[in-house]
Amino acid sequence: MKRLKLSDILITIVIALVFGIIYKLWGPVYNLVKPFGLHVGDIVYGMWFIAGTVAMLILRKPGVALLAETAAASGEFLVGSEYGLSVLLYGIVQGLGTELVFALFRYKRYTAFVAALSGIAAAAGSLIMDVAYGYILDLALWNLLLLISARVLGGILIAGIFAYFLVEALEKTGVTSLVRPASHEDFKALDK
Amino acid sequence: MQLTLDYNETWLHRMNPAFKLVFFLFLFLGLLFIHNPNIITYVTLLPLILVAFFTGHKRKLLLILMIPFLLLFVSSSSSMIFFGQGTTTWWKWGLIHITEESFYRGLHIGFRALNFALLGLIFALTTRPVLLFYSLTQQLKVPPRFAYSFMAAVRILPMMVEEFQQLKNALLVRGVKKEKGWKRITQSITLYAVPLLSQSIRRAHRIAVAMESKQFHNGKRTYYYETRLSKFDGLFVLYIVLGVVTMVWLGLEVPTYEITDVRNSD
Repeated sequence: MKRLKLSDILITIVIALVFGIIYKLWGPVYNLVKPFGLHVGDIVYGMWFIAGTVAMLILRKPGVALLAETAAASGEFLVGSEYGLSVLLYGIVQGLGTELVFALFRYKRYTAFVAALSGIAAAAGSLIMDVAYGYILDLALWNLLLLISARVLGGILIAGIFAYFLVEALEKTGVTSLVRPASHEDFKALDK
Repeated sequence: MQLTLDYNETWLHRMNPAFKLVFFLFLFLGLLFIHNPNIITYVTLLPLILVAFFTGHKRKLLLILMIPFLLLFVSSSSSMIFFGQGTTTWWKWGLIHITEESFYRGLHIGFRALNFALLGLIFALTTRPVLLFYSLTQQLKVPPRFAYSFMAAVRILPMMVEEFQQLKNALLVRGVKKEKGWKRITQSITLYAVPLLSQSIRRAHRIAVAMESKQFHNGKRTYYYETRLSKFDGLFVLYIVLGVVTMVWLGLEVPTYEITDVRNSD
């Protein structure tokens, strides 16, 4: 296994803290859209999964997604999130979800599809926390289904597709070659 | 994270940060096992008292910080109140179905969210991040690689703010026009997010290389700040234990609502 070096950890945490600030600013956005639209507002929830996917797509090493999501949550917590401590636990569980999907592909595939799947897994993680925290299983069934679909859709769109295109834009700056481990293609290119 | 705020140090500041974090996490988990709305309503007083009198910050600031809590209370309780399951109907209109059970369950969730918010606020207002990371390595044996990365990363954030200002000015001077609607989002990503992120990744990489070349390692080390447990940690535990016992007793003996368990019984 490729162990995380100091530079991997530092870069992951820097990316995570940037998203941590966004997470904090996202709180009022979510609270504003939530009460009106029968959970349709939960589409924006996907923003809270994005740190894990983005960091993983950039660094491509085991453990990065979990570390990034946890660090982003800690950052959000330290700047005084109105969700308080709950963000830390949500962050860990969501990060585990993201991490799990990339692990299932044995840390070899980093496509938009896998990113979208990781968004779904993170959404699942957040829903598991909501069962314990917000008694969501006691919602009327149609309402619960609406919540789940909005959350999952948000995960796919924001933490999956959007994150993928953000990283693709970053790749054009050449910064990713600084941090990624040499891939199979790189070695093949040497043989030419 | 108070870098510039004016405040008086109180006993909450003198607690061991790592101990505070772990203890708060236990409180968080403990709160998940309270299903009686009477109890949680009284319990909310405990963090509220701490925020109001012992964080050492100005009242005005505290009030401003607590404004979003109202919104939070409404937003976390509303969907359960309107769409939760229950048998005793109070009001029904279209999709909205308010029952006694769902109303109190919603209220319960609102108080829960309020408790977490207040505890989080206490932590954020009374903990210096640097000391937290020092104490995490010393008391909880978190590898220095992680703790010091955090501290370095925190320092990069203000640089990013500066860079953001620079970018903004540069774009202004060059007469870049703001797009409208959806294009605005793509525009701000290519003009701001991408350069800011890529620059800070490069910076983080350079810092890591510099740290390692100056012999930063993960082994045994000495610390500029030594953090220890103190009597203030004991005082806090005592406050919570006595407080919770009193509030649970009050919740059982002097209930304010008729419902004693908000979980769906069927």
